[in-house]
Amino acid sequence: MSKIMTVDILSSIKGAKPSDSVNQLFDVIKNANKNTALNTVLANVLSLDDLRPDEVVESSAIEKQIIKENFPREKNGFLVVAKVIED
Amino acid sequence: MSLVQEKLNLLKQNTHNSVNSLLEDSALASAKKVDAKIENGQEIGLLEGIPFGIKDVYMLQGTYTTASSDLLKKYKAAYTATAIQKLLDAGAIPLVKENCDSFGHGSSSENTIFGAVKNAVNPDLVAGGSSGGSAVNVAKDNTVFSIGGDTGGSIRQPAGYNKIYGFKPTYGRISRYGLMAYASSTDCVGPIAKSLEDVRIVLNVMSGKDPRDQTSYVSEAVSADLKSSGIKTVGYYKNFIESDAISTKIKADFLATLEKIKAKGIAVKALDFFDADILVSTYYTLAMAETASNLSRLDGTNYGARIEGVNLKDTYSITRSENFSEETKRRVVGGNQVLSQGFSDEIYLKAQNLRNQISARFTEDFKDVDIVLSPVTPAIPPKIGESLQDPLAMYLSDAYTVGFSLGGLPALTIPKGTSTGLQITADKKKDAEVLQFANFLNEIL
Repeated sequence: MSKIMTVDILSSIKGAKPSDSVNQLFDVIKNANKNTALNTVLANVLSLDDLRPDEVVESSAIEKQIIKENFPREKNGFLVVAKVIED
Repeated sequence: MSLVQEKLNLLKQNTHNSVNSLLEDSALASAKKVDAKIENGQEIGLLEGIPFGIKDVYMLQGTYTTASSDLLKKYKAAYTATAIQKLLDAGAIPLVKENCDSFGHGSSSENTIFGAVKNAVNPDLVAGGSSGGSAVNVAKDNTVFSIGGDTGGSIRQPAGYNKIYGFKPTYGRISRYGLMAYASSTDCVGPIAKSLEDVRIVLNVMSGKDPRDQTSYVSEAVSADLKSSGIKTVGYYKNFIESDAISTKIKADFLATLEKIKAKGIAVKALDFFDADILVSTYYTLAMAETASNLSRLDGTNYGARIEGVNLKDTYSITRSENFSEETKRRVVGGNQVLSQGFSDEIYLKAQNLRNQISARFTEDFKDVDIVLSPVTPAIPPKIGESLQDPLAMYLSDAYTVGFSLGGLPALTIPKGTSTGLQITADKKKDAEVLQFANFLNEIL
């Protein structure tokens, strides 16, 4: 768990490096003033009464057909995924 | 039928790179049905037979939905976005999926695999973005209206650059279901049109609570009578106008507009606000964090143009490296930077705190003023090719729009007042007041 992950690994982008332009934006945030008196939690909360029912909705036939058309690799109607190697 | 055919003919020429794909067959079939209804004397709705365009980040079942990216170049939407479905139910006819910055990542509509979108007024200049193709199609009369997406100004800025109307409603007024997510906490669906009345009609059709987007809410329709404005005080942010970045002409025109408003008996109040670099940095920090998360699903496994590697992780990284644009990669990497251990407190959580400070300031300001008026952009559109060379300059050009996005406020661009328009903002859920004040400005400017 203590392994250090670089941004290219975190982003799954080969050779990715932090950008100078973006770092300049982050420097502004580092130097800005924080207001600890503000409540940071309530702004975007949803009421428990307002949650969507947890139920399975069957896709239509056309939806299923398009999802299959979008498969990057397909064999006998199934999605083929790359080989998983744990490391 | 003839209106749809006329617009399709214009779109086929694609003179400004505003078109990603045409929906010709379905559009003509729908138009034929409307003609039959009219011939049979059946009642038709307000939008029945009206041709419109859709930014290529919205799901419309069976159509290519590319986000102007290589990764989703051949992706077909399996379902239809709620906002688009409501327009279809009202009889409007979609003609075109429109060019934009890839995944909404840009302010110029140059970050796209379909060629840089050219400005409708001067084709040497950028169209603005990210909803550039949508704005140009409306400005060139290729569509009657178009549906854009606005995360930090992506409807308002291209509307300003192409001299038309573009509205970002209060966050949650229109369901985001079926809009490809960029930064979910500020993503908004909105209309782009040539008249205020068209904006109002399309807004009303698309608005409403949707169980599929739990941030959506019930809203009242904006009345056709936009004259009943009780607006007494208008504010403006001093630092926007006193900034070195604003063009002399835009500043002078904006100040002249304020004088015309005062002359009509409305009080005008100068307000203090956060510096532009704080607004832009807060917005981009949060937007990058959210886009890193939202785009993590795009790995070529379930959909997208997969490029096989030696194993799953290798496949992910090759697929993403080859198929994301430089700007998208820059934002994904930036987002993962600020979400990493050791950086999240110092940058991401602090940006969240700043966002709350900005929202709190809006709440205070709207106790004193009914409307905040600002320019849409500090400068005229850059030439095509300039923005991609200097990402920081592009980010800073969003200074006047991103703050209102962070506040979730309704904000409208009208093509009046300055060469890139005026931006009218009100407190949350006061979308009607925004349109009413726009109507007032149309009368006096």
